[in-house]
Amino acid sequence: MHFPSMNVLVQVAVVGFLTGGVYALMAAGLTLIFGVMRVINIAHGALLIFSAYISYWLFTLYGIDPFVSVVVSIPILFIFGIIFQRYVLSRVESDPGLGVLVTFALALTLEGVMGSLWESTGRSVRTAYTSEVIKTTLGAVNLRLPVVRIAGLGAAVVALVVLFLLLKYSNTGRAIRATIQNRNAAQLMGVNVNRIQAVTFGVGLATIAMGGALFSLIWSFNSGSHEEWISKMLSIIVLGGMGSLPGAFLAALIMGVVEAVSAVVMTSYLSPIVFYLILFLTLIFRPQGLMGVKIRKG
Amino acid sequence: MEFLRRWWKVVVLGLLLVYPWIYRAPYYHSLGFKVLLFAMMATSWNIMGGYTGYKSLGHSAFYGLGAYLVAIAANDLGWHPFLSAPLLGLVVALVAMVLGWIMLRTSGSAFVISTIAMLLIFRLAALNLRGITKGAPGMSQPLPPWTPEFSRMPFYYYMLLWLIIALAVSAYIRRSRFGLGLVAIRDDEGKAEMVGVNTTLYKVLAFGLSAYFVGLGGGVWSYFTTHISPIFAFDIVVGVDMILMTMIGGLGTLWGPVLGAFVLIPSEDFILFNFGSTSIYLAIIGALMIGVILFLPKGIIPTVEMWLENRRTPRAAHQDAMSMAEMHGLVDTFDKEKGK
Repeated sequence: MHFPSMNVLVQVAVVGFLTGGVYALMAAGLTLIFGVMRVINIAHGALLIFSAYISYWLFTLYGIDPFVSVVVSIPILFIFGIIFQRYVLSRVESDPGLGVLVTFALALTLEGVMGSLWESTGRSVRTAYTSEVIKTTLGAVNLRLPVVRIAGLGAAVVALVVLFLLLKYSNTGRAIRATIQNRNAAQLMGVNVNRIQAVTFGVGLATIAMGGALFSLIWSFNSGSHEEWISKMLSIIVLGGMGSLPGAFLAALIMGVVEAVSAVVMTSYLSPIVFYLILFLTLIFRPQGLMGVKIRKG
Repeated sequence: MEFLRRWWKVVVLGLLLVYPWIYRAPYYHSLGFKVLLFAMMATSWNIMGGYTGYKSLGHSAFYGLGAYLVAIAANDLGWHPFLSAPLLGLVVALVAMVLGWIMLRTSGSAFVISTIAMLLIFRLAALNLRGITKGAPGMSQPLPPWTPEFSRMPFYYYMLLWLIIALAVSAYIRRSRFGLGLVAIRDDEGKAEMVGVNTTLYKVLAFGLSAYFVGLGGGVWSYFTTHISPIFAFDIVVGVDMILMTMIGGLGTLWGPVLGAFVLIPSEDFILFNFGSTSIYLAIIGALMIGVILFLPKGIIPTVEMWLENRRTPRAAHQDAMSMAEMHGLVDTFDKEKGK
């Protein structure tokens, strides 16, 4: 353990905050899916890596910027989500333990497929603006903020606002929220719960397609990276309270800062343990997280 | 037929005993060892995942812990792994019971992800506690003293012995009050508690027991490979293999995990040998797992049993199927299908 100067600490915390915004987008779909279907989609990490690969290849082969290539990856993941929910997940909904195993199996399959198609070299998209930084000051502290992280936070906020508006004002969004609150009551009120579940899974995967594009700009990845990332996303949504979007948003910002600070305090090798410990301890001692309902049973 | 029905266990045991003398190449001894090792570990996982219904994805944590404990005991204290593995397995079981006591406050998917978190914490600890584990490069331990051409055979017979012990424990549990309590927890934890089952104690004991043989297996494996590192010792796929074997053979049945291991490990070897790629293997077991959950949810043994029963006595078939279903905890599914 060592404690760096105040200057470094503030710099690191601010960048961590920006990162937290991207985490929020990555975790949003996961918590939404859990809210509606009570299934923890372990494949979320693998799908994140998969969409990052889509961005990477479109950039490498055709020079398409990841902010543009989402028009390809979003529909692909949306449709895949609907098909997977309709033909696989819906058949095991009676047992939440089995639901987790199925999505875990999907994660393994994707890892295997990506690992056989592409080499294990760490990939990331390096655009012209990748290493640009904006210099600014906060009080007496000089900050250097990477452009990609600012753009990432911006895009994440835009995507989350769109998601929020869809949930708040569209009919499908209302039906999704109703299903989260009380599935049986929603069904009695004429909500086609099966359809809503499929749509939610599709929407959840669409957000991860957006997340994957940002991810490819900021981090480097290979087919095996998903394990680390699903654990991060899980600890965010568990800390926020499973099924709660505002909770996930808050927890993502907190975790972004905590991770960045612990990386300089404890070395970046050991810092992921903060995520796992938070996941472990929240599940056990405060299963409802910051803003959610108890999920310890089920 | 009648002879086989009565004596099949003896026949299988006999075949397993002579196998290393028929297939004499060390490769076959290694393969046999791996099959027996995983059969034992899946049998052990099944006590928690099958009988009690708590499906842990983090059992590799106990495998890795056993592996490291045995390697450290061999290096620093000179303990022979064949003696230390069963002893240090007790330490693993104790650790599992303490952790289980905390984790088993959760259930369903929350339990599953807390077991994943546990595994990841163990792996990170092994990577970072360099003073004890020597970090990412891993640690070696003394080679077995036997001549090379037979070096795998003692492992094979040693594992066979432990598979038999694990099966005996599993079979005993199934018939005991303790086992009935576990099945009651799986079927309806609230009701089990109401009729006086001390659910916390039962679950913690079952978790410790299911970690014991996995820790022991990890210890023997570390002697077998002689070099261990955090990535392989705490590999989540080891735990996934146990689950997949159990589900292929039949979740919550005595022989299911064994059958699953005898099917899966040789296929795994075949795939690795022919395609030479772990990635393809991952893709195949992932797809296989989805397939098994969707199309063979009860596993091979219960499915075949039900089919045989139906053929033998069509009139009593329904009743038999029902009682069979009850035994394997599938009554819910049956009620649903009847309702359709």
